Parts: sequence; structure tokens; C-alpha cells
Amino acid sequence: MTQQNRLVSGGRIDRSETLTFTYNGKKYQGHKGDTLASAMLANGIDVVARSFKYSRPRGIIASGAEEPNAVLQLGATEATQVPNVRATQQELFDGLVSASTNGWPSVDTDVMSLVGKVGGKMMPPGFYYKTFMFPESLWDTYESMIRKAAGIGRAPKEHDPDTYDAINQHCDVMVVGAGPAGLVAALTAARGGARVIIADEQNEFGGSLLDSSEQLDGKPASEWIRSIVEELSTFDDVLLLPRSTVNGYHDHNFLTIHERCSDHLADIAPVNSVRQRMHRVRAKWVVLATGAHERPLVYANNDVPGCMISGAVSAYINRYGVVPGNELVVMTTNDYGYQAAIDWANAGRTVAAIVDTRTESKGDRAETARQLGLNIITGSAVIDVQGSKRVTGVSIAPLDESGTKVTGSITKLKVDTVATSGGWSPVVHLSCHTGSRPVWDDSVVGFLPGPTIQKQLTAGGINGQYETSVALQEGLDAGLQALTNIGLEAVELVLPRVEQLTMTAPMILFHIPHIKPTSQAPKQFVDYQTDVTAAGIEIACREGFEAIEHVKRYTAMGFGTDQGKLGNINGMAVAAKALNKTIPETGTTVFRPNYTPIAFGAITGRHCGGLFEPERYTAMHKWHVEQGALFEDVGQWKRPWYYPKGNETMQDTLNRECLAVRDSVGILDASTLGKIDIQGKDAREFLGRVYTNAWAKLGVGKCRYGLMAGEDGMIFDDGVTACLAENHFLMTTTTGGAAHVLEWLEIYHQTEWPELEVYFTSVTDHWSTMTISGPNSRKLLEKLTDYDVSKENFAFMDWKAATVAGVPARVFRISFTGELSFEINVQANYGMQVWNAVIEAGKEFNITPYGTETMHVLRAEKGFIIVGQDTDGSVHAYDLGMPWAVSMQKPFSFIGKRGMQREDCVRPDRKQLVGLKTIDPNVVLPEGSQGVFDPKAPIPMPLVGHITSSYWSANLNRSIAMGFVKGGLDKMGEKVFYPLADGRVIEAEICSPVFLDPKGERQHV
Amino acid sequence: MSDAVVENIKMKVVANQLPEDSEKIHSMAESPLHHVDLASLAKQGLQEGGVHFCEKPLMGLLTLRCHPSAKQKTAIKSLLGVALPMEPLTSATKGDVTVRWISPDEWLITLSGDKAFDLESRFQDKLEGHYSLVNISGGTTVFELSGKDAMNVLKKSTTIDFHSKVFPTDKVVSTLFAKSSAIIRRLDEQRFELVVRRSFSDYIWLWIQDASKEYGLVVDA
Repeated sequence: MTQQNRLVSGGRIDRSETLTFTYNGKKYQGHKGDTLASAMLANGIDVVARSFKYSRPRGIIASGAEEPNAVLQLGATEATQVPNVRATQQELFDGLVSASTNGWPSVDTDVMSLVGKVGGKMMPPGFYYKTFMFPESLWDTYESMIRKAAGIGRAPKEHDPDTYDAINQHCDVMVVGAGPAGLVAALTAARGGARVIIADEQNEFGGSLLDSSEQLDGKPASEWIRSIVEELSTFDDVLLLPRSTVNGYHDHNFLTIHERCSDHLADIAPVNSVRQRMHRVRAKWVVLATGAHERPLVYANNDVPGCMISGAVSAYINRYGVVPGNELVVMTTNDYGYQAAIDWANAGRTVAAIVDTRTESKGDRAETARQLGLNIITGSAVIDVQGSKRVTGVSIAPLDESGTKVTGSITKLKVDTVATSGGWSPVVHLSCHTGSRPVWDDSVVGFLPGPTIQKQLTAGGINGQYETSVALQEGLDAGLQALTNIGLEAVELVLPRVEQLTMTAPMILFHIPHIKPTSQAPKQFVDYQTDVTAAGIEIACREGFEAIEHVKRYTAMGFGTDQGKLGNINGMAVAAKALNKTIPETGTTVFRPNYTPIAFGAITGRHCGGLFEPERYTAMHKWHVEQGALFEDVGQWKRPWYYPKGNETMQDTLNRECLAVRDSVGILDASTLGKIDIQGKDAREFLGRVYTNAWAKLGVGKCRYGLMAGEDGMIFDDGVTACLAENHFLMTTTTGGAAHVLEWLEIYHQTEWPELEVYFTSVTDHWSTMTISGPNSRKLLEKLTDYDVSKENFAFMDWKAATVAGVPARVFRISFTGELSFEINVQANYGMQVWNAVIEAGKEFNITPYGTETMHVLRAEKGFIIVGQDTDGSVHAYDLGMPWAVSMQKPFSFIGKRGMQREDCVRPDRKQLVGLKTIDPNVVLPEGSQGVFDPKAPIPMPLVGHITSSYWSANLNRSIAMGFVKGGLDKMGEKVFYPLADGRVIEAEICSPVFLDPKGERQHV
Repeated sequence: MSDAVVENIKMKVVANQLPEDSEKIHSMAESPLHHVDLASLAKQGLQEGGVHFCEKPLMGLLTLRCHPSAKQKTAIKSLLGVALPMEPLTSATKGDVTVRWISPDEWLITLSGDKAFDLESRFQDKLEGHYSLVNISGGTTVFELSGKDAMNVLKKSTTIDFHSKVFPTDKVVSTLFAKSSAIIRRLDEQRFELVVRRSFSDYIWLWIQDASKEYGLVVDA
């Protein structure tokens, strides 16, 4: 197929490079420099979508970010699927594969369109609120029907092969938009020595100049653009970002920019390249030079493919060398609309008429049109369009002076393209993102940026200044102002000469009347993407939705992925007319980030896959991996969970590991426990205030277990603290609680007790900790050290400095298993070597590495709690049956003392931690099971507490459990029943949580 | 504490944590990136690229916490050979000793690994008053990032402004680095030092590799 709409010359495309692309399974050709949209128009593709609600055929309307219809699915493979791509912003590359996203089986033969016409009647505005909200139970049914009928793209089902990136930037001046205003602002700031970033969503800088045939300094605009960009790129402190949409403008001049680095090259980014990059910019001053979007007019059947905005027609002709039709009619309320007809005629195709709603225009563009001999019909409008998959003709009729009534008979013209201009809407989106409401301006006939507390300047089209000469001047002024604001010297910059065109004032008109009332006229679309019509807005107003925010929610106007860039102002005008109010009285419209849709990948950046979350490793991690350990996540740490051998099941492994520890000796990597070095003459006093128990008498060389409570008295951490020297302690914390505990200590020191002389330093990573536990652990340690580790010289809860395997170590004789245990701590750079030495020396005792799961079983056999498993922030030391770990006699209060004495905390029927033995010893209670005293009680049964820890104990050859039971500490020997979801009711007896060696004889050897 | 006599009580523990056998000090030690075998990567990997990476393994690192009095400042200066930098986000270097300002009452001191204990001992002997000096050598390692794109890798990893106008040579920040943390110091225009925690070092190394890919990463042994 040839590109029948392509001009032989002109435009910024490279005709020597032909690119092949696929649309809905068919192959087409375009050129380098095309967008997907311009290439589609070159090939005469009319229908690009079916509408959301009525399933009407839709064509390309615009040429930029405001396009509502040509929202396509891209991707040659499943993994590279990208939804929500605006064809007007997607650069063409060879091999591009695209498809329309709605319309089944295809946009050209949509089986829904017949249904759709009926469906439209079934779906009046207020669709969501009336139909779908009631009855609620049918929402799922409605939703699936709607989704299927009007799909708007889909996510890939396979892993995205591309890399996405995020980068932080800082600058003095952030210029948004590289049209005439933005380019001059950036260059002015750059010449003044500012650090500048200038970003533009298009593939090349120039903005509106790229679409026009205007001359600067008597030369094509492209030459001026090139000279500015060349100079900008000579500055080290200027960052040029084409293909980069400033999508969000947040508080404190923080902006997010979505750069498409390789979307224009291929389906997948080149090797080692990034596909898209999110720039997170902190700017001292921001210059918004975002330009304006042309407003289409609202008229009957204005969605038939071939209806476009007039500026887009000019853009396709001037920039891409594509005339998107043969016979054109232009309807305009202003002088700019004439330009499309002039460009069309110059391209050698037929202009059937220029229909001006005003009574006359004396402007230069109108004069040019007259000189070209174009047929100008004044005081009239295109009130209706014929055709379904392409415009075939229009109805033109005279209007009254206010543009509210058709006053005469209809003339029909045969055309295939309608270009309309209702004036321009400044692109105020970014200025709204920070909460600033835009302000209506009657002379501009649009909203201007409102007052802001941001350090923000504006220039050009965003201010309603559409003439190039004014935009250039405003760009210069903004650049100079920015320089002054950041304390830099102003610089010289001579602006190029631009021809000044005379203009006749525009007519304020949005909605073209029909001979029939709006409610009976053919559909007049306001918001194409959500299928909102003028009639729909009138209904909303009639039903009492008077605030524009309510009208929007009632009709879904502006809720599409285009955020109503084309339709919102027209919709407000229709509502204002229906309510007999002015537009500013009706309300303002605000915009939220993001300006255009962003791929999730760009938001995620590198924080995915293996880098989603840091994995913290101990010095012995590699050894665990080599031993085939499975790992458990504890906070960000990877801790060995258990070490399966051969074909062992998990339970087999746990049984083996548990028996090995109690029979001989096991070894555990305990390096992950938090360790805090505490120094200062008040360290001991400080400990007494943050722990519930007493520390005054802990001697040098001794260790003590402590419980840490919040202000409410509830336990949040525990661990052993050693007295290293009179003013020097080492606190250990839970693995997951380490960072919080350090913060807790600092907060209390800095805010409550700054007079205490004490410092805290984290040494968690500095020490590698290996626990050897079991009856043979002393014999093993003796092999590794010359130090006397006998019972007499090294008592339980002592610590000693000793050399182990040639490395100075701190050895703590503490136990979490109830066995004879030693915790060997060495500087972590030596951890692996010492561990290897221990393993080697332990061979004769069949030393067995064990993981966290075995550790959990062994400690549960002894009734030791795990904070976070047996506690949940709602239990205090007494609930845990640990009154021995609270000292009410301390001279200074301690954190939680008052909290745990509150009335509710001393109730006798609080849930208390007890041991539980199932009557059938072979049944292991599921953790989390809820207990009841009476299994026959009617539902809802009174629940008395849940199981917190439950295991099979190989050492006891039965199941064991710990759990909360109301008043449980006084109910020893009584029964609790656990009704399970599967119908079983498990009976258990309340007992002491110390299931093994209640006198502690095993650890005191 | 039967043997405790008040005047003999040790107030703080300062002990050598390295093997006494000087040969073992290095032969037994494994830095946090030991498992990566950077020496082999340096030989096998890219020889040219926009980013260079190396680990400075087994250095001596000490955390000093103090609200220094004038007397303490003088004592510390004579112990370190350089005055404590009191200006926030600065550092001071004399010989192989570098002192980084971390917070109003915290500094990070680096020096060669085998000299850490000696410095600790001298502090113990000479510095009076309230302070704490903690050896964190085993829990910390030092990376160096350099090359024309090193700054880009940092910009991807932290929110700090590294422009030389605001981040000159010797400036120091402690900051979030990807989802971990790092103490970053500028060594010269294109060279940066990162002090990172042992347990996070593998994650940061993976991150740096990923973030450097588009520039080409050269591992220096």
C-alpha cells in the first residue's frame, strides 16, 4: 500500500528512510521522523478505536499529548506489550507492532456497535452512580461486561525484559517545554551561569515552531531552533531532555520527568541500555513554558473520523508532509483556524470552505486565505457531520450573533475532513499539580495559572500568549527573572525578528447549536475518551449536579487517560450555559499528576527483581549456601532456616537437628542479632530505665536477660546485655528489632535524659556470632582455646575474653536452648575462618549446623519466648508469666512501669502465656488456632486466646505448644478446646511452658 | 565480683580484635566482598568504561562519639594528628587518617586496619572525660567509585546534589543509598568513597553493577 496522503516534499521526515510497521495485523510503511499517528494518516487509516460507551468508530483528532482516541497497544511480543500509548506521541521505528485496544473483532467491524447503539440508551450519564452502585451485588457482573466491551489496553503477561531507571537531578532553573518561550528562557538562564534543565515531551525541541511555516529572522524556524540547541549543548551545567514529559510538579519545586530513552528505537531497548528513565528534579526556580492545546468545537457527530483540530491539520502537513484527507472544511471562531486551510491549499488539496462563526475577520491570515481564493463563509457554523467511518459531508448553517441559535437554512458540502478551532486552552496542568487553582480569563477565553506558593514563572502559551514574538519575549523575561531570583547577573540576548500578524478578536463559542435542541440533536461529543456528550452534561445539570466537580463525576468527563485535555473547558462551557452561569461561576478544573500515563516500570526503576529489597548477609552466608541451607527472611536478613540432607522432609531435618543439639552439639549463626555498644558513666542507670528489670548490681563479666517495654508497658524487644566494664555494656536485641531499639535509645537519651552520660553505637555488623550448643559444646570449645572454660572458671551467664581458633573473641556463656551453650563473637572479617575451625574441630562430636526453625523448637521446649511471635505489642511481662523480669524497686522509674499498672493491665482474666499439651500427643496444633473453654457453646463462641508457637518436639516425642489463655496462669491442668476450620476440635491441657528440664540442670553443667 | 577493688575496676574494654600472629591478620581475614572475588573480575571484566569500582578491604574504622570540650579537642587533635572537623558534612585528613563529620556528636575515623587497636589504646590512655570510641572495622567496608559516569551512578542511588559547586572534594554525607545507606566522601572531581555496612555490601555491589551497566563498569583490583 502506498502512502496516499504523503506529500512529495516538505516536513521534518526523512523520505530516504522507509520504516515498516504493523497496525492490527497489516503492514504499512512510514518514514523516519514520523509519529505512529502521522504514518497512519499517511496510509489513510481512518478508524483507530471504538468508543468506550457507544462503540462508535473514532479517528485521530490531534497531533500531541491531548489526543483522546488514538490510544493504542504496542508490542511485538507478549513480554513487550505496552498499553495506553498515544499514537501521536509514539515515534515510528522499523518493526513497530501496534493494535487498537477496543472494538471486537476489529475496529472496522465491531459487533458491539449495534449493541452499542442500544447500550448507549441503556447507559445514560450517571452510569456509575445509578446503574452500577445499585444493586451492589451486581457490580462484578457489570464490571466484567464493561471491561470486555471497552478494553483500554492490557498489561503484558510475561516479564518485562527492559531496564528502567530513576535518577535524581538538581538545578537552578527547570524549564518545562522547549517551544520558543522555553528555549529562550533556558538560553538566558544558561548564559547567566545557572544550572539549567530543559525538558520537552517531543523528540526534538522547537514546540509549536515545528508545526508551522513561520520564519524567524527571515529564515525557517528550524534554523533558529538548531542554533539555540547547539549553544545550549555547549554548557556543562545544562541538561537537555527531549522525549521527556514533565509529568508531575510537586511541592517544594520537586518535579518528576518521564524520559523515553529508547522507545523510539525498537520494541526492546538495545543491550545494556535503559528503556525509560524517571528524573526526579529538585529545582530552585521553575519556568513553565508548556504552551497551549487547541480546543475543538462541539457540534453534532463531531467524532466521525476525519474531524480534527485545525492546528493538528497544520502540524501533519508542515511537520510530517501528510495531508490527512482530500476535501477540507474549516470551522473557526478565531483567526488561527484559517491557517489549516491555508496550509491545506498550499499542499495542493481542496478547501471546500472556511466557516467562520464571526461576522467578519480582517486579520492577516484571513487576508491570505482570501488571496488564495478560498471560500469563506462568515456568521455560520458546521452544525452536523455526515458519515460513519469517515466524514462524507457537512451541514452548514448561519448562526445568530451570540452563536446560540441556528438562524437560516442548511447548506450541504461534500468533504472528508473537518478542522475546527474553538481557540486555545493554556496547558495549566503542571501549575495545578501543587494545589493552585487556575483562574478564568475572559480575554484569553481560557484558564490561566492561578496564584502559587511555588517558585514558579510562566512564559508563552501558558499565559494565553500565542504569538511567537510575544512568546519569545516572555521567555526572555522569565529567564532574566529566574537569574535575578537566584542571584545571578542578567545577560544580553537578542530575540529574532518575527512577522507580526494582525488579528480580529475571537468569538467566545464552545458549543455549536443544532436545529434540534441538544437533547434531541445527534450526539455532540465533549469528551471523546469517556463518550460524554453535551446532552449528557445538560442532563447532569438538570438533575441538580451544579458544581463542575459533581458534573464531572456524574458524567465521567475528564476521567479518561487524557484527563480531558480537549474536552474539559468545553464541558464547563456547556454546563455553564445549561445553568445560566459564567464559566468561572461554574467552577474551575484542576489537574493531578501525571500529565500523561507512565509505565509502571518507570515508577519502579531498579527496585525490582533481585534489587527489590536488600538482602543482608552474615560473614558465613556463603557457607550456609554451600551446605544447602534454606533461608528465612528475618527483617532484611537471610538467616539459615534449616539444612536438609538428602531426601529429608523439613520435619525430618528438624528432628535430626533438634536431637543433635541435645545429644551432642549444634552450631547456629547468630550474627544477625542486634548488638549495641553502650559506653558512659551513666550507662548502667540508662539500662535500668529502658529495661523492665534491674541492672544496678550486674557485675563486670556478667550477662543478664532484659525485657524492653514501650510506654504502655507492652513488651517490644528482649535480649541479653553484658557488662563489659564498669562503664561499658554490650546490649543484644532481636534481629528484626535492632534498628528500632537503637533509635529508641537515642530518642530517650536526646529528648528525656540528655543529662545522662552515655553513647550508643551499633556493632551488629562488626561481630560474627556463632552459638555452639549441646552437652559437648564445652569439649569442643576446649579444643579451640587455651582459656580455662571449665564450669568453675566460666560460669553460666558469664562472658570471657578468650582467643578462639587464633582470633581474639568474646565468649558469652548464655543459652537459648537450655543446653550448655557458648556464643563465640569475633571481628566479622574473621567470622568465616573461625566458623570453619569450629566445624572442623566439631567433627568428632558430629557437630550439626541448625537453623532458625530448630532454634524455635529448642527454645519452645524450654518455654523461652520470641518477641514478635509470642508477643504482639499487647502483652506485658506479667501476661508472659515473667514477673521475675520486672523490678518495681528501682529508684528511678522505667519505661512502661506506669503503663503496665493501668487498671486494664492488672485484670486477673487477661490472656496469659501458658504451655499447652494436646491430649493426643501426635497432633500439632496449628499456630493461630483460637481456643474456647466450651466447645459446645453457641456461635459466636467466646474465644479465650490463640496459639502462638506450636511444634513437634523430637526430643519429647510429642507435640508442644505455647499460647494465650484467659486467666491461664491460674488454670494449670484445665482443658482448652481448639475448633479448627476443617471441623476438628483439638483438646489440650494447660501446663507450664517449660516442657523440658524445668530445673535447668542441662545448662548448669 | 569478689576480686573487684574499686580503683582496679576497668571503666571500658579496649582489646585487640585481630589475631596476634601478624601473618594471620591478613591470611585469615575476609572482607565483606570477599565472596565476589573482585581480583578475578578485574581480570575478566571490562577494561574500559565510564565507572570504576574497587573495594578498600580490611581498613580500620572507628566511631567516635563525643561533645568535645576545648581540652578534649586538643587531646583528640594530638591523638589523630588532625583536628576534629566541627563544620557539618566536612572531613579532615592527615596521612592515612581521615576523620568524617557524621553528626554533631559523631565522627567516623578511618586508618589502616592494623593501627586501629593502637589508636583505641591511645585514646583510652590519653583522652579524659565522656566519650566513646568503638571499633567497627569488621562491620564496615569502603568502596571507591570513580570515572566520568561515577556521579551518575550516585545520582541514581541517592538524592544528594553532587555538583562540585555544592559538593566539593572532602565533603561528606551520610545518606540513603538505594534502599541501604552509605557515608559518601568526594575524593576528587571524579572519585568518590563509600563507607557501607558489611551486611548490606553485597546488595550495594549488585546495585552498583546494575546502575553502571549503561556506562560500562570496570572493576579495579
